Amino acid sequence: MNTSAILEALKKYDFSFFGICAAIFLMGVVNLYSATHASVSSHMANLYKVQIGWYLVSLLIGIVISFIQPKNFFRFSWLIYGVNIFLLVLVLILGHKGMGAQRWLVIGPIRLQPSEFMKMSSILVLARWYATSSPDKELGFKQLIVPFIIAFIPTLLIVVEPDLGTGLLILLIFFVISFYRKLKWKTIAILAIIGVISGGVMYQFGLKDYQKRRIITFLDPSADARGSGYNAIQSKIAIGSGKVIGKGFRKSSQASLNYLPENHTDFVFSIFNEEHGFVGSLFLITLFIVLFYRFIWLAQSVPRIYESIVIIGIMSIFFWHTFINMGMVTGLMPIVGLPLPLMSYGGSSLMTFGVCCGIATSISNSRNLF
Amino acid sequence: MFGEDDIVRSHKGRAVLIFNIVIACFIIILIRLWYLQIYKGDEFYKYSVQNRLRKETVKAPRGMIFSRNNQLLVQNVPRFDAIIVPQYLTNKKETLSKLAKILEMSEKSIYGILKKNSYQARYRPIIIKKNISRKEVAVIETENSKMPGVSVQTFISREYADKEIGSHALGYISEISQQQLPTYRERDNYNYKLGDFIGQAGIEKNFDLDLRGEDGYQFMEVDARGRMKRLIGGKNLFAGIENKAATPGNNIRLTIDRDMQKRAYDSLEDKVGAAVAVDVNTGEILAMVSRPSFDPTEFSRGLTAKYWKKLSQDEFKPMTDRTIQEHYSPGSTFKTFTAIAALEEKIVTATQEINCPPTFRLGRRVFHDWKRGGHGLTDVYKSLRRSVDVYFYKIGVKLDIDILSDYAKQFGFSSKTGVPLPREIPGLLPYKDWKLKKTGEPWQKGETLSCVIGQSYVLATPIQLAMAYATIANGGKLLQPYLLKEIFSSDGTIKKKFSPKVVNTVTVSDESLEHVKKGLYQVTNHRKGTAWWYRGRGIRMAGKSGTSQVRSMTKKELFSRCVDMPYKDRHHGIFVAFAPFDNPKVAVAAVVEHGCSGSGAAAPVVRNVIETYMKKYEPETYAKYAKEDKENARRIYLQEKKMKEEAARKLEESTEDDE
Repeated sequence: MNTSAILEALKKYDFSFFGICAAIFLMGVVNLYSATHASVSSHMANLYKVQIGWYLVSLLIGIVISFIQPKNFFRFSWLIYGVNIFLLVLVLILGHKGMGAQRWLVIGPIRLQPSEFMKMSSILVLARWYATSSPDKELGFKQLIVPFIIAFIPTLLIVVEPDLGTGLLILLIFFVISFYRKLKWKTIAILAIIGVISGGVMYQFGLKDYQKRRIITFLDPSADARGSGYNAIQSKIAIGSGKVIGKGFRKSSQASLNYLPENHTDFVFSIFNEEHGFVGSLFLITLFIVLFYRFIWLAQSVPRIYESIVIIGIMSIFFWHTFINMGMVTGLMPIVGLPLPLMSYGGSSLMTFGVCCGIATSISNSRNLF
Repeated sequence: MFGEDDIVRSHKGRAVLIFNIVIACFIIILIRLWYLQIYKGDEFYKYSVQNRLRKETVKAPRGMIFSRNNQLLVQNVPRFDAIIVPQYLTNKKETLSKLAKILEMSEKSIYGILKKNSYQARYRPIIIKKNISRKEVAVIETENSKMPGVSVQTFISREYADKEIGSHALGYISEISQQQLPTYRERDNYNYKLGDFIGQAGIEKNFDLDLRGEDGYQFMEVDARGRMKRLIGGKNLFAGIENKAATPGNNIRLTIDRDMQKRAYDSLEDKVGAAVAVDVNTGEILAMVSRPSFDPTEFSRGLTAKYWKKLSQDEFKPMTDRTIQEHYSPGSTFKTFTAIAALEEKIVTATQEINCPPTFRLGRRVFHDWKRGGHGLTDVYKSLRRSVDVYFYKIGVKLDIDILSDYAKQFGFSSKTGVPLPREIPGLLPYKDWKLKKTGEPWQKGETLSCVIGQSYVLATPIQLAMAYATIANGGKLLQPYLLKEIFSSDGTIKKKFSPKVVNTVTVSDESLEHVKKGLYQVTNHRKGTAWWYRGRGIRMAGKSGTSQVRSMTKKELFSRCVDMPYKDRHHGIFVAFAPFDNPKVAVAAVVEHGCSGSGAAAPVVRNVIETYMKKYEPETYAKYAKEDKENARRIYLQEKKMKEEAARKLEESTEDDE
């Protein structure tokens, strides 16, 4: 390949997804540094370096995936799904106990979290199903049965781990995809009713105590008798005290005095708000919205319905994480422990979003081949 | 029919709808942020600057440990440290000079401590002086307002009443290490934090989950200096947040008798060794000591570098529990089991007399008896009483090593006893296959001869010896030794009770056991017994002495005086016994490293411990025996006196004859 060909390929290469994500990550890692720099533990103080390492690995994986032809995702979707389900079962059988939940699969030095990757695997199979079974018609209950089973199996396996947040996330993604695939309004209405009822039943019988506590805390933070309301209140103090322009970089008192536990994972957005205020958040949220716009725009400019659905699915992963995380730290939702994309500390999470961007870029690049 | 392109386009309506919903969701978030940051921003800002809610952990008091007679062995005592928080140290010079006066230390040393810790965050307290007196606490508390940045920190110290005595069994607690953190979190499914104390050895480790209790927390408002303002309650932003009380850990009642333990420890003064005493009918451990030892209290405060250096550089390894973590060749104490095997295998009968010359020849190798002149005709009683090596060599040529090991195994050799303490070792018994696998060489007959007298491949821990002799004493039940009588909660309800557990009932006839017991009785109660001089009074013990060769010896060395050899080459002295003979209650094993002789070095330890037991738990029997023993001793004295006089007279007569 000569220079002009490389230039040609680069011209066709869609940098938008990696570009926007890099911008968000940059803000995230600066924020992470600020939240942890005062920590006495050297492990905590060096967390931002680890995060950069993970980011580079995820970026590399994403770029490699971006060069895979989209038809391969279609071809291997069932295989990927099957392997992932197998790994989930494996986790349940010999899973690694971390914080009271079996989520990890340890292979030598590598710790895998199959439930993270299940989000993407489910999207690939759901998209394939919807793209191949009369994609021109609206969806009713009948057409929903198989896709529901596809989404429900991993949800069940993840919920019993127990990781309620990630489990329900797959159902939410399933819902967005089905909605995009023209789910009838009547069906949506009936589903909503069923959802409310089954939610009530699950709350009564299916939830662990700490999960119930989180929901009660959310409904009335001051009613909490066991301390989880503490996080919610400290988070609100952090956000509120940032006012319009924030206290400034490295000036978060809530973080440096350790009032906010987990300020490097679930509560990064609180620290961000304390230091950069309403203006900072406005900027950050705008970046996220540009990213979502870009996804939805791409979904409407690809030639094949399969790819279109996959893009909507990926968008929904980003969206739910962002919305739920911001909702919970601002006190709009119960604290379910979902990370903020590209901002929260965590290798598995970064990896997921790297893979997402890789697939989106691959699909975007292939548009121009015709 | 649509083309694929058209199908995608037909979803445009939904795509636009999704985007609108996304926008709507974030508008909600922004409205919320506006509410928190702009509408209520000033209020929250005030909270973040002035009033701070702090969540403080309330440490659960760790369970206490009692002796079998309810004496407090391990408890928690509050101690106080003087600390400085650099962040609040506004008037440094004046404050430090004032503090130096109160604590009676030089200003320079305080500056030194501050400088040494200057790398850490400024809000972290620095300990200036540990363990300050109540008076110092009072002065600091009253002068508090004049010395910003100085305060008193309470620390719960775990204190061990008997310090070094029995500390191996009790263990110690110390801060969880960075390496332990992940494994312990997983093991206990509990979110340990750095700074948490956990049991690191002994009972403290094995029963950590029972002793630990559950931490609580309380919320308090602190002012900008980090000082406590008030506990939370009342109507404000935090109204309704509740504290959680700590649940105290469970207490433990041990089977240990404090007096016996102390006697055992004192008897080992200036020696390196160990002693274990067990109840022969239950397996309860009554005493368990190892010397040299360490003071566990030092660990709970964070070891000083000096103390740690002392422990880690001591060549006698004070941290090793010699009762369960060190094994020795049992030496002649093992002959008891060879005798049992010989009787059971019908190699000899109890009363059959075998001639025992000073040496025994096998092929080209000569085996020596410990006594240069030999012992002459010997039956099984005499073989034990006089510890006749050649008697056992003669058995050894007829006894298969695998069979001997099988018998010994029944008495608990080469298996962990199952004592509830960490890092017990199993000892060793040789088998032909085992040696072949290990060294690639077949078993030599000569090696059997070393093993029958408890040398070479035979290794046992002191607790194994005690349990094996307890098995003989109680008629053939090998018990599992245990240390805990019960676990009970802080309000006194019993959570768990421990009871005796039989591991194995030995398949040895009662006659053989009786013959051997009689032999053991003669060791201490026959005038020619090897431990006659250490028999004590009022205890009627039956036991066996043994020496464990540290390395193989030349003939010359074998008969040279042990005490003349370099310390490291001297034999270990071992003694195991049970008492009282008629109705055995207690078995005691003692090892004195490089103590030269089993009877000389270890038997007094055993005797002392048994004596303490008899005086305390069998006072009537003790009094009766003591009286009889006293009369006996007098009779023997008179008899000997008479014999001496007679001999002198005879000598006189014969000299007269010669003339």
